Amino acid sequence: MSDQTFEIKTHGVDAEKLVAEIRAVAEQKMADGVYADARIARAERLNLANLRNADEFLNFYLKCLRDAAFVDISDFPIRERRAFLGPALVALKKVIWGLLKFYTYRLWSQQNQVNGLLVTAVEGVDQKYAAKIQALEQRVQALEKQVAELSKVGKGN
Amino acid sequence: MARADRIAFVAPRFAEGGTVGGAETLLKNLAEHAAAAGRQVTFLTTCAQSHFSWENTLPPGRRKVGNMDVHFFPVDADRDVGAFLRAQQQIDRGGVVPAHVEETWIRNSVNSRALCDYLKAHGGDFDCILAGPYLFGVTYHAAQVWSQKTFLVPCLHDEVFAYLGIMRGMFGGVAGCLFNSEPERDLAQRLYNFPAAKSAVVGMGLDAFEADATAFAKRRGLAAPYVMYSGRRETLKGTPLLCGYLHAFRERTGRDLKLVCTGSGPIEAPPEFVDHIIDLGFVSEQEKHEAMAGAVAFVHPSVNESFGIVLLEAWLARTPGLVHAKSAVLRWQCQQANGGLWFRHYPDFEEALLRLLDDAALRRALGQNGRAYVERAYAWPAVEQRLFQALETIG
Repeated sequence: MSDQTFEIKTHGVDAEKLVAEIRAVAEQKMADGVYADARIARAERLNLANLRNADEFLNFYLKCLRDAAFVDISDFPIRERRAFLGPALVALKKVIWGLLKFYTYRLWSQQNQVNGLLVTAVEGVDQKYAAKIQALEQRVQALEKQVAELSKVGKGN
Repeated sequence: MARADRIAFVAPRFAEGGTVGGAETLLKNLAEHAAAAGRQVTFLTTCAQSHFSWENTLPPGRRKVGNMDVHFFPVDADRDVGAFLRAQQQIDRGGVVPAHVEETWIRNSVNSRALCDYLKAHGGDFDCILAGPYLFGVTYHAAQVWSQKTFLVPCLHDEVFAYLGIMRGMFGGVAGCLFNSEPERDLAQRLYNFPAAKSAVVGMGLDAFEADATAFAKRRGLAAPYVMYSGRRETLKGTPLLCGYLHAFRERTGRDLKLVCTGSGPIEAPPEFVDHIIDLGFVSEQEKHEAMAGAVAFVHPSVNESFGIVLLEAWLARTPGLVHAKSAVLRWQCQQANGGLWFRHYPDFEEALLRLLDDAALRRALGQNGRAYVERAYAWPAVEQRLFQALETIG
C-alpha cells in the first residue's frame, strides 16, 4: 500500500510547479514583512550581483537593510558562565561597563545615525531613479504610439 | 565521415591523484572511455598539478595510463604572471577590452610551446583533436594548430572571459564543439553565433552506484539532518553564500541543520556557523556517495557551471538537488530531471529547504527522479554514442 502511494508521488512530483508554489509563498511572506530581517541582509550581500535585474527584490533588500542598519545599543543583562568567583566577576564587569557605557553609547548612537542616513539616502536615490525610469518608459510608449500612427498615415498615402 | 579511430585529447592538467577539476575529469573520462571502446587515444597535457601555481611538478615525458598514451609537457617558464594578472584585472572589470590586453592575457596564461610543437609535428597522425576547457592558453593555442579537425570541449560559462574577441575567434575557427548541456550550447550560440550544425551535446557518463543512506551519519555519530556540498570552496562557486544562508536559516528557524562538505579550499563562513560544518576534505568515492545519500539535499550554490557533475552524482545517491536559479545549467538539469528545486534568494531558499526537511516523500520522489534521469541521459553507453556520432558527423 505504502509502496503504491510512493509510486504515485514519484511520478506526480513536478519541480516547476513546486518552485512556483514556493515562490508564491516566499513572495507573500516578503510582502507581510516576515523576511525583513538584518540576518537576511547579511546573508544576501553575496547574492546581490545575481539579483541586479530584480527590482522588487531590491525593495525587499532595502527593508532588510533598514533593520540591519541600527545597532542595538540598549542595556543588556551581564552574566558569567563560570561558577567560580561568578558573582565577583559579574560585579567587576558591571563596574567596567558602567565606566564605558557613556563612551560606547556616544559612539554607537553616532554610528546608528550615519547608518540610518545612508539607508535613507539609498532609498531616496532608488525612488528618484525609479520615478525617472517610469516617466521615461511612459514617454517612450507615447512616442512609439505616435510613430506607429504616423507610419499608418504614411502607408495610407 | 570516416570513423574517428585516432583521437588526441588536450587539457591543461591531467586529472589524477590530487589533481582534480570538473573539466579535467570530464576530458579524462571521455578519453578513457574512447580508449576502452577500441579507439587509439593520446592525451596531451602539462606537467602542472596545481591550478594556483602551475608549477611543473610532474616529470615531462610519455606514460601509459590504462589504454591511453599520456604525454606530459612543461608549462612555459617565461610567462609573465604580473602582466597576466594586470590584464585579467582589466578584463574582470567588464566592458570592452582593447585587443592588445586580450593578447597579453592569453599569451601569459598557462601555455606550453612544447605541447604545441608536438601537435604541429604529430597532429597529422590523429583523426580528430579534442581540447578544453576554453579559457586556458594551452587550449587556445592548441586549437589553432589543426583547427579543421579540432573539437572544443569548452565547458563554457557566462563570465567576462567568454566575451573576449579572441574567444569568438577560437570558436569560429574550430571544426566543432562538444557541449555538456543545452544551456551551454545556447550560450555559445548567443555569444559567437555558433552554428548548431557544428555542435553536439555530449556531457560525461556516470556509473550508477548504491550507497547506504544511514552509513555516513552512523559512522560520524551525526544525529542532526544535514545538507551537502562537494567541490571547490570559493566565492565563484558560491560556498560563502551557502554558509551565510545556512547560518541565517539556523538562526531564523531554530532548526539544527548541518553542512557536510567534501573537496578542497578554505570554507568562508560566519564564525557562529563554523561549528556546524563537517568538512571532510578529500574522501573516498564511497564515503562521498554515502554522505550524499544521507543528506536532506545536495545544495549547489554556484551560478557558473557548464555541467554539474556533483549534482548528477547526488541524484545517483537518490538525493534531491537545491540549486541557484541563476545557474542556467543547474536549473535546466533540475527541470529536465524533475529532481530538484531552485532558489533566487534567501526567502526562496528558506521555503524550499523547509519543504525538503519536512517532507520525506518529496525528497524521495525528487531523488528517485534524479537518479532515473542520470541513468537515462548520462549512462556511459549513451554518452559514448553521442561522442562518436558527433566526431564522425560534424566537420
